[in-house]
Amino acid sequence: MSALRDFLRTPTGRFVALYAVILTAGFTVLALDPVNDSVVNGYTTFVAHQARLALLLLGERATVEGQVLASPRFSVAIHNGCNGLEAILIFVCGVLAFPSPWRRKLLGMAVGFVAIQLFNIVRIVALFYTGVFRPDWFGVSHVFVWQSLVVVFAAGLWVFWVQRYARPEATS
Amino acid sequence: MPGRKRRAEPARFWRRLPWALLGAALVWLAVRSGYNAVLTNTAQGLCRLGESPAVTQISSDGEAAIIGRMDMRADSGRLRFSLTQIHFNFVPFLALVLALPGWSRKGGWQGLVSALLLLTISHVMSLLWHVQYFYATALGPWSVANYSAFSREVLGGLQYFFDIAVTFTLPLLLWVGFFSQPVSSVLGLGDSGADRRIGDGAKEGGS
Repeated sequence: MSALRDFLRTPTGRFVALYAVILTAGFTVLALDPVNDSVVNGYTTFVAHQARLALLLLGERATVEGQVLASPRFSVAIHNGCNGLEAILIFVCGVLAFPSPWRRKLLGMAVGFVAIQLFNIVRIVALFYTGVFRPDWFGVSHVFVWQSLVVVFAAGLWVFWVQRYARPEATS
Repeated sequence: MPGRKRRAEPARFWRRLPWALLGAALVWLAVRSGYNAVLTNTAQGLCRLGESPAVTQISSDGEAAIIGRMDMRADSGRLRFSLTQIHFNFVPFLALVLALPGWSRKGGWQGLVSALLLLTISHVMSLLWHVQYFYATALGPWSVANYSAFSREVLGGLQYFFDIAVTFTLPLLLWVGFFSQPVSSVLGLGDSGADRRIGDGAKEGGS
């Protein structure tokens, strides 16, 4: 217990604690019914439309009904947890918890948001084609491969932001 | 030279990351079936500690966990869900660790074991909330008779947190928490006095 107290007194410990608090707050807000109904569901539908656009560019006759991306070849339902918001929270909360000027935080959050969404569209399109060509691989690809990649991508993006924009030398 | 070293560490991290991801995935593939059995047996034992008579049954069937009760008819509801969804975060966590240059120095192995222990505890907790939420919501009149609406809400919230929030965020938290020194090097904050540097950042940043 005293080791934990000592750790929390260090700046790294404070960062981890602040990060955990902001993450908890963020996920709590997303879990609230009104937020889920009006923001998360709407956002998930928006993601489905973005993925449809990407599939149209690739020559697929894709349509969106609610949060289901459908085509004559395969259909994927985009649920809460698949819309990229978790990765965005991992990144944004890391940016908010790390000490750096607000201007750099805002820029990082804006660029990171777009980057994670682009990555998520790639993920959905890749899963669509996995379903088309290797439907038996869909489950492992969905849960194991792409969720791992999403977490590493969000963490890597945060590392990149700190390396390039947030550390003391970069901010002076 | 220290300046060159500080520039080299972040670059080495990026070069190592794809290989670390591959290595972590291979380790996960090698241990997952044994880990599934450990996870389901531990969760079953913990569930039964709070039961009289002890009736919870949790078994693993390939990648799935199957949850049921011995005091219910064989055709009663059983929950089957992917254990990979619970413990896939082992892969991103291990990949981030293995990508750190010099992660095993200065108590790195001890940190890895401690972090993996916490990760395992989170997996067991996640499985326990799945069991409780299944009992509270999916067994018809039995669920209604034994769980209040409030407890269903609480269990639903806990399941959500362990399913999504904890699963997705724990890798980064453990990585920074248990490997603060090599992480600070990778972030470009210096090898030594990493904590002091993060503190300096706060002063200069003015956030």
